[in-house]
Amino acid sequence: MNYKSLAIAATAAFAVQFGVPAWAQVKIGINVPLTGFAAADGKSALDGAKLAVADANAKGGINGEKIELVIYDDQASPKEAAPAATKLIEKDKVVAGVSGSYSASTRAAAPLFQAAKVPYVVAYSIHPDVTLAGDYVFRTATMGEVQGRAGAKLASDLGKKNVVLITLKNDFGQALAAGFKEAAPKFGVKIINEYEYGMPDRQFGALISKVKSDNPDLLYASGYYFTAGPLVNQLRAAGVSVPVIGQEGYDSEKFIEIAGAASEGTLVTTSLDRDSNSPVTQAFLKEFRAAYNYGADMVGASTFTATAIAIEGLKKTGGKGGEALKKAIEGGSFSTPIGKLSFNDLHEVKKDVQVQVVKGKAFHRHSVISDPVLLAPPTKAK
Amino acid sequence: MLYVELIAQGLIQGSIYALIALGLTLVYGLLRILHVAHAAFFTLGGYVGVMVANQTGSLAAAIVAAMIVAGIGGILVFRLCYQPILHQPPFVPLIASIGLYIAAEELFRIVFGPSGLTYKYAFLQGQVIAFGSLRFKEAEIAVMLGSAAIIGVLSLLQTRTRIGVACQATVSDPQMAESFGISLRKVGDINFFVGSALAAFAGVMVSVLNNMVEPTMGSVPSYKALAIIVLGGLGSVRGTLVAALVLGVVESFGTIYLGHFLDRNAIAFAFLILVLMWRPQGLFARS
Amino acid sequence: MEYEISLATTMAISVLFALSLNLITGFCGQISLGHAAFLGVGAYASGMLAKAGVPFLLTLPLAMLLSGALGIVVGFASLRVRADFLAITTMGVGFLFVGIVRQQDALGGEMGISAIPDTGMSKLAFMLLAVAMAAAAGLLSTYVRRCWMGRVFAAIAEDEDTVRVMGIDVPRFKLTAFALGTALAGLAGGLYAQHLKFIAPDSFGFIESITVLSMVVVGGIGSVVGVSVSAAVLSVLPSWFQVIGDYKLLVYGGLLFLMMRFSPGGMAALVARIFHPDRWGSK
Repeated sequence: MNYKSLAIAATAAFAVQFGVPAWAQVKIGINVPLTGFAAADGKSALDGAKLAVADANAKGGINGEKIELVIYDDQASPKEAAPAATKLIEKDKVVAGVSGSYSASTRAAAPLFQAAKVPYVVAYSIHPDVTLAGDYVFRTATMGEVQGRAGAKLASDLGKKNVVLITLKNDFGQALAAGFKEAAPKFGVKIINEYEYGMPDRQFGALISKVKSDNPDLLYASGYYFTAGPLVNQLRAAGVSVPVIGQEGYDSEKFIEIAGAASEGTLVTTSLDRDSNSPVTQAFLKEFRAAYNYGADMVGASTFTATAIAIEGLKKTGGKGGEALKKAIEGGSFSTPIGKLSFNDLHEVKKDVQVQVVKGKAFHRHSVISDPVLLAPPTKAK
Repeated sequence: MLYVELIAQGLIQGSIYALIALGLTLVYGLLRILHVAHAAFFTLGGYVGVMVANQTGSLAAAIVAAMIVAGIGGILVFRLCYQPILHQPPFVPLIASIGLYIAAEELFRIVFGPSGLTYKYAFLQGQVIAFGSLRFKEAEIAVMLGSAAIIGVLSLLQTRTRIGVACQATVSDPQMAESFGISLRKVGDINFFVGSALAAFAGVMVSVLNNMVEPTMGSVPSYKALAIIVLGGLGSVRGTLVAALVLGVVESFGTIYLGHFLDRNAIAFAFLILVLMWRPQGLFARS
Repeated sequence: MEYEISLATTMAISVLFALSLNLITGFCGQISLGHAAFLGVGAYASGMLAKAGVPFLLTLPLAMLLSGALGIVVGFASLRVRADFLAITTMGVGFLFVGIVRQQDALGGEMGISAIPDTGMSKLAFMLLAVAMAAAAGLLSTYVRRCWMGRVFAAIAEDEDTVRVMGIDVPRFKLTAFALGTALAGLAGGLYAQHLKFIAPDSFGFIESITVLSMVVVGGIGSVVGVSVSAAVLSVLPSWFQVIGDYKLLVYGGLLFLMMRFSPGGMAALVARIFHPDRWGSK
């Protein structure tokens, strides 16, 4: 390990332990779910955001002023997110906002940031309405529908034609399924059946029995690591051995831990490529592990990215928010752990979809889906 | 064959429900309180189980430890939390219990972290092939056999031992039992110990099935177990067993054939409401 | 000021919502663990109507009407099952509501409804409207408790069978309580939808039902002032608790428990005990 990353890691660790120094000047606000059902993702997101701030502060902050991250818990609920956003804007007078939270809370917060003309960079919420709130809202994630389309392409790339969908009943799962269904016919992929399950479900016995009788040659299952882990484990135990395609939600070391040996071979469409040869990505992965002692996942990487983009923009404006910052982010191009990003007119990013596969108890690169037409994010025109 | 498999899966789910709901029935039968915080012992069992198993490498030790810790915790909750407010209207212990459950869930998250724990060793992960094509996880078979065995032993104890008879007598008529010299507090201790230990056993088994414990694993049982004991007729042990198994099977078929119209919770509660409108006292009313 | 206005609006809506449950549970003794469903009915009705171009103020009475009508349907359940059975049945109604809404594409499904059109009122005016509604609900509650109907409610809560024996038409009064309470919850829902401009099924689930019941019980079941104060305080507690961050739900749950354990009569009883210690002396 070289000295620079050691210093960054040490600063990050310092920031994590002692919070933010009192002499901070430039304030960036973040809403994350620290309590409630999404607390695990919230922790990962916050760790990512803190790392981005520590990184920037170690390099001298913004014009010599330190950056302070103002953190509010939104429990991933719109009811908590709205007052949190109002407080960030009005009480803390943040110059930029970051969402490290789910779609429901982000959708409640986005119009408030828009109305106050405070740029709001959204890390990993996938709902289309988020960026429709207005031109002060940016998103670094690939929308659910787009990821679903990539899933259908992956199925056909694998040469599989008969697919069963196992869909999580929330906005994330629904958006993925919609994208997959839309693109499937184009690739000659047939959807034999679709089953839905709820967020609290961990036992999939009945569903798996039915899947077996459908005899598909591929499963497209949406979920988060805490549902997908038990699901994949139970699928394999029941003797279902066909490939499983998952998405961003699977993208956590915890998935491999929970599913155990059954996780081997699971494919995941995501935005973080562990085997990327980009120095930014590799530096991020290394720093993250050094600072927190666990491997970064998609949520951590995305929130790091969103925070870093807000900081980059602030560097250009010299710490000024409002319209200047909006323009700086709009016009910028950013090298991030999840690739080189720039925003289109709706403030969505266009990027390749990374396919990772679980091999030897870790995520590794399987392939990259880059199809500019298929993966085109929505624009204002649409 | 699919139907057989769905029924089998329903029974597995049902035995887990039964283990959790039995403790709730014991508590309700004795004290007439809806003990929402009962689900915290399910979670506690899972956590103790994982930690002991990862330390010792023995699942048996994990189960015993989890049941003892939860059992003692149950007695403490009875003595410290419920006993002083038993004479209050029923919503008082109910809200107290809900508060307790929320606090407990948060405590698990703060102490053990939000993303949960997993087993270091693979327990009961092998496959069992039965009747030709049916395949089960060893853990699934263990859940079914384990709950059948435990419930069998319990019912023997209840009818064949002095203390078991005393418990039954207290449940059916607390005042009469007291006049015969049975200590209400002692019976309460036993009911809470046994009930919480059963929930902890279920917690260990579920955590083995999923290879995961998480702070929120008790949130579904916290309300679904209530539905089950109401379905079974509140306070009836036999009714609770039947209701748990029936609900398991209803959910098993429901998630497959009604999944596009209703989610699992809604299916369970739609079934509950239908039954209650037909039989307002549940499937097996107390005599 | 906008933050304070937003908080005050949240408080007023919660007070209105808690008072609506207090009518059913506090006055008439019919415990409900699914009251958030009616908040949801009102919110969806108002939100959908506003999106269809109906003026905001007109959506409110319609939301109340729909919510109250469904309330009567659920009220029929209270005629059939009692006490703990009723508690669990209403809980089931809550789960059923969320389960059904989740699957309705017309209602936005899982995604919920966002971009509810603006009311055309300033934030301050909207807050004042919400406060006025909450105050009106408080006055209505006080009036109901004092009139003949309120006395029958109290008698039903105390001992339903005796009231029945006295020849009073118990079902009619129970249904009235449900209709009134759920219509007010629908009104609260309409305001909620317009305040947040975004609604999704999960916002009206079991947790929300538990939260509102806690407000009522912590305030002191049946006490109009107690319930109002506790709803106002509990609704903004999570925002205030941002300071203690990680521990806020732990503290929330702990407070709920301690309140019931040491002052089962809620805040109303606590206050009474502090100011009139002699009344408690003999206990």
